[in-house]
Amino acid sequence: MIPVVDAEVTPALQVSGLTLSVAGTRLLHGVDLTVPAGSRVALIGASGSGKSLTAGAVLGRLPAGAVATGAVRVAGDDVLGVPAARRTARTRVAAIAQDPLAALNPLVPVGAQLATPLRHRGGLRGAALRTRAAQLLTDVGLTDPDRVLRSVAGELSGGQRQRVCTAIALASAAGLLVADEPTTALDLVTQAQVVRLLHAHTADSALLFITHDVAVAATLCDRFVVLEAGRVVEDGPTAELVAAPASAHLRELVDAARAVA
Amino acid sequence: MAGRLGVTASRVLSLAGVVALIGVLPWLSGRSPELSVLRARSAEQEATPEALAAIRADLGLDDGPLALLRSWLGGLVRGDLGTSWVSGTPVGPGVGAALGVSLTLMAFALLVAVLTTTLLCLPALRRAVRGEPGRPSGVGGAALTALPEFLLASVLLVVGAVWLGWFPPYGWDGPSSAVLPALAMGLPAGGLVGRLLADALTAASSERWVLSWQVAGATRAQVARALVRRALPSLTTQVALVLVGLTGGAVAAEQVFAVPGLGRSTLGAAESQDLPALQAGMLALLGISAVFGIAASALRVALLGRAVRTGTVPVADPVRTWRGRDRVLPGVCAALLAGTVAAGLGRDPVTSAHARLAPPSWALPFGADASGRDLLARVAHGALDTVGTAVLVTAASLLVGLLVGLLPRASVGPVEVANAAPPVIVGVLVAAVAGSSLTGAAVAVLLVGWAPVAAHVAAVGTEVRASAYVRVLPVLGVGPLAVTWRHVVPTLLGPVTRNAVLRLPGIALALAALGFLGLGPTPPSPEWGLLLAEGMPYVERAPWTVLAPTGALVLTAVLAVSLSVWSRRPAQPAGTSTTSNVRVGATNSS
Amino acid sequence: MNAVLTAREAVPSTTVTPVLQARGLRRTHPLPRRRPWAPAGRLTALDGVDLALAPGEQLGVVGSSGSGKSTLLRLLLALDAPDAGTVHCGDRAVSPGPARRLRWFRRQVQYVPQDPASTLDPRMTVGALVAEPLRALGVPGDHRTAVATALERVRLDAGLASRRPGELSGGQAQRVALARALAPAPTVLLADEPVSGLDLAVRAQVVELLAELGRDRGLALLLVSHDLSVVSRLCSRTLVLDAGRVVEDRPTDQLLATPRHPAARALVEAVPHLPA
Repeated sequence: MIPVVDAEVTPALQVSGLTLSVAGTRLLHGVDLTVPAGSRVALIGASGSGKSLTAGAVLGRLPAGAVATGAVRVAGDDVLGVPAARRTARTRVAAIAQDPLAALNPLVPVGAQLATPLRHRGGLRGAALRTRAAQLLTDVGLTDPDRVLRSVAGELSGGQRQRVCTAIALASAAGLLVADEPTTALDLVTQAQVVRLLHAHTADSALLFITHDVAVAATLCDRFVVLEAGRVVEDGPTAELVAAPASAHLRELVDAARAVA
Repeated sequence: MAGRLGVTASRVLSLAGVVALIGVLPWLSGRSPELSVLRARSAEQEATPEALAAIRADLGLDDGPLALLRSWLGGLVRGDLGTSWVSGTPVGPGVGAALGVSLTLMAFALLVAVLTTTLLCLPALRRAVRGEPGRPSGVGGAALTALPEFLLASVLLVVGAVWLGWFPPYGWDGPSSAVLPALAMGLPAGGLVGRLLADALTAASSERWVLSWQVAGATRAQVARALVRRALPSLTTQVALVLVGLTGGAVAAEQVFAVPGLGRSTLGAAESQDLPALQAGMLALLGISAVFGIAASALRVALLGRAVRTGTVPVADPVRTWRGRDRVLPGVCAALLAGTVAAGLGRDPVTSAHARLAPPSWALPFGADASGRDLLARVAHGALDTVGTAVLVTAASLLVGLLVGLLPRASVGPVEVANAAPPVIVGVLVAAVAGSSLTGAAVAVLLVGWAPVAAHVAAVGTEVRASAYVRVLPVLGVGPLAVTWRHVVPTLLGPVTRNAVLRLPGIALALAALGFLGLGPTPPSPEWGLLLAEGMPYVERAPWTVLAPTGALVLTAVLAVSLSVWSRRPAQPAGTSTTSNVRVGATNSS
Repeated sequence: MNAVLTAREAVPSTTVTPVLQARGLRRTHPLPRRRPWAPAGRLTALDGVDLALAPGEQLGVVGSSGSGKSTLLRLLLALDAPDAGTVHCGDRAVSPGPARRLRWFRRQVQYVPQDPASTLDPRMTVGALVAEPLRALGVPGDHRTAVATALERVRLDAGLASRRPGELSGGQAQRVALARALAPAPTVLLADEPVSGLDLAVRAQVVELLAELGRDRGLALLLVSHDLSVVSRLCSRTLVLDAGRVVEDRPTDQLLATPRHPAARALVEAVPHLPA
């Protein structure tokens, strides 16, 4: 995939010159990154490299006291510093978080939480809605969708919660999905299942996949953007970068992945 | 199953214990009630040993506690609450009428509380659904609504009834006489719950599900409803305490405004040693408390719905950005209090060396009281009485709470009973048994003060035991005793001690409330609550007699509230946060 | 069950007494009731599991979540009693009981938990943490020397003994947890997902360290994981759990080359590979 930023095709996400400081410490130093519509981009970096801060800026969840400059354009509109509540339907970004506990309302059954996007976004009602909800849960690899629909977050395991969040994010049918380490809590079989699902469901939207695992990223994404200490150190097509990593950081990650696998 | 049985047994035993305690009150009373009865029945009769013995036999005091309890319980079952020792008439009808007045008053107070809570929460809720960053609730404003009831009642009486003359200063005729007492009871209750709810709403709004609901297209109303429902369950403990506090508040408010309710009549019965009336009043007051407590638990179960069974609802952790000015307020209050004590300690608090009700001057900065005593000296020495006793009570409640809290299941019942008994009501009980004294007041406050510490120890202990570094210990070969004493206790000692110390001003206010109601130290002690009570009759002629103790108590109340905010900061060691079980002293103080 | 029987043939029969052996382990868990008066259902977590770990052997147990791995570990560690079946350490039967009665067993069999760094008490120093099992198990001798030896075996500087977990890097914390397990000089190490959730670089270090301990120290290792790639680096023999049963028990390379059971095939295929 060639990253042509066509004037006619607005990229799903365009981050340019994003800097971010918290309490006087600069944590992001001019991050540039583009997710063209219909593509999947991996944002790769070790913990503390600024991946999650970048994701936060895209989602409209900056940490308290953060000062950000630059631009974050979702579907062409600059939304830097605009919280999700005040965005339009077009510029709201769906998210799958790393920590699945707070990602579900602990008091509302999964069925009701999954019904919201299906009703408001998919326009589904009644039996069609219920069928679709159960179908989505089966798609993310949950074997007993009816029981899960009745359950609240506390009755599910970490992996099950993570998959429910994935289902809700997919049902939201947003133009862009940000997945922040969505598979770390899952076993490998489920991870493979969720990766396949993300692959299938982002064909006509776009995905920013945040991870430290280059092997998983390589199976899912067309492009790699490598972040180190708040700077983009590498940006290119997956195959090229994996075959010949230019930065020391990516080379280390690739070597480690080959050593374990 | 064994666990649940243990909890039930603990509850049943505790409840039975309290009822039995009330039943044997006449036997427990160490103040020879026969003398009071003799005085009440006839002024002329000589208090000869024979006459007293006859009365003892007549009252059944010599039959021992079991017989006494049996006859009292038997009467209770038949609907007979006993006969007043003072008037000789049945107690039942009087208690019924007083109960009606008190319940009306509490209903008004609840209305005030709900309105206050709503007003305090609306801004936070609006910010939350609009995605604006949450602000921690202001300490300064909140402190005003967290004044103890007896103090607020006195201030309202002075302002609303004496100066403005809008409302009747005392009595019970028509809705207008309910306004001031209901405000005195409802404002602190609503202020506390509103402030906590606003913080919980802010915390809940930063949880990730809010974002995914918004992305999913949920409306603002939907998000707002979900936020309120999410925030409320973590507060039900506090709501229960506040509701129970209303019964204690009723005693203070009814006393100040001379409302013929249950609280005032019970207090009167304790003073006149009319033990059957006291027993009936106690039973009714504790019954109301129990109903409030059960209602709060039922509310919690209803709010949690399905999630109640999993027992893993994470408490919304209020995320606070600690601002410099949050430190200024408690600092200023503590400095003013310390300055007053330093200035007055060298002066004489007991001798009537000045003109009666002398106004403030350079020589007498706070003026003089009705006996011509130096008020600055009295406030300063009273601080030692009040705060010094509070320090002892805090230390004792820390010790008891720590030991009891380590047995979470067995302690459920005692903790619930202690939480359902406001200090004032326990104070009445202790005063009935042992007479009014500073020690009695301290014991009364301790009897309920250990419970929040124990609840906190149990909560933090459960959290620590659930942490990975404790769960791994059995596999390493560490036995259960070593797990508790080498790993759990050292970890929770820090946060629990800090939490107990932050309760100190609240405990001081509770002691002052007892002093104000005549359940604490006796004159000429300069204890603050007593000082305020002594000044009240002169409030129109010499407002400074009330101003000096009120000022000291307000400073303590503000200190208590601003420190309680502090105690809700996440604790330093990971996984030992102190969010849920913080009982703020100010509101429970009366 | 057929898979088990056919798989068993591939294992060379040994005359040596296994250091850790399980026979016919069965364990069910009560399911939460729908209604308070409804009869409580039971979930079968383990259903007739046999397992034998020879001295110095490296055995892998793989399965996806819910296959019964954690239940098996709890039974092998005598934290939980089976409904049926036995666990033996050498010739002695093992069952849950007071800490004192199990001291001999805990000295023999130690445990490396999942996310080991989180199992370090933040208040304690590294030295005290590593000495904790020595103290609890009443191991005689100078604990300080034992701690130093344990730290050396995980290639940590002895000077680290005065630090607290908050001052350690992720990789160092993992090693401290490993040193703690090695301190009582056990003959068996049970490791539960010791590397999942770690950065790839740290993961490679820990795997290398575990491999070395087995190779050079003759430590028997039972590695429980959902990740076949880690197991394949460390274990010569691998056992696949699915729905509480052992569905394959074969040399790891054979398993990787020709998985027979669908669950084993899913596990093999789930390992992500970088394009060459």
